[in-house]
Amino acid sequence: MLLHYATGLGIVVAGGVHLFTVFLTGPYVQNLAFSSVMMVYRNILLAVTLELLLVFVDYHALNGVRIILIEFHQGTTWERGVSWVLAVAGVLLLIYGTRTILIANALA
Amino acid sequence: MAESLSREIKRALTGWFYPVHYNLERWAYALQRISGIAVTAYFLAHIVETGNVVGGLSVWSVPSQDFASAIWSATFHFLENPFFDTGLIVIGFMLSYHTINGIRLTLAEFGLLQGKPSRPDFPYEPKSFSKAQRAIFWLSVLFAAATAVYALNVFFGFRI
Repeated sequence: MLLHYATGLGIVVAGGVHLFTVFLTGPYVQNLAFSSVMMVYRNILLAVTLELLLVFVDYHALNGVRIILIEFHQGTTWERGVSWVLAVAGVLLLIYGTRTILIANALA
Repeated sequence: MAESLSREIKRALTGWFYPVHYNLERWAYALQRISGIAVTAYFLAHIVETGNVVGGLSVWSVPSQDFASAIWSATFHFLENPFFDTGLIVIGFMLSYHTINGIRLTLAEFGLLQGKPSRPDFPYEPKSFSKAQRAIFWLSVLFAAATAVYALNVFFGFRI
């Protein structure tokens, strides 16, 4: 559970930077235009922040779902099953998100 | 399995999401759980959505700028309508609430802002949910409402 709190605090910081770049650096629609988005991915610091945010949210969200599901029903088989399914889902999401960041960084 | 699945689901839904007749801490808990599920659903959609900035699910090597740009523009125009904008306002509310209430929970986890243990007297207010914690809870509701108003302005410019 310590990781749940640690990633939560990490999200406050990395998510803050993410929301700042989208909402507070200019008009929203303009910031989400293709060229503006590419400028974010080209900046290595912002790209690394996005990757960190991805890792933190991925863990925090899926662990949260895991907590809800193992509170829903108790049992060794259920708990193991839920943990494994969510761990695999988390890794797949992480791979897809990281692919986006790496390719966007190369593309930009 | 001692309980049937339908009974388990009913118990979970009423136990988690129906805090009526319980104290404020239970409301904070229900809202934290609902907002967590909502933001998780948004996160999944957001990973798929942002994947389109390089051209979508099938792209696993660096594509041409024109291809990626065309896919991203199409995605953005598909999502730019009052339905999804309203969804984002709700997500903004949920995210802000979850953040500030989550900070309250983190402080509580490490024993900060806990009330002093004392003899339980009428009206049996939980000592764990101290004045400072109540203040942070209401701050989280206020911050969430402020975020929703800000988002309303960003997406609709108060032109409803």
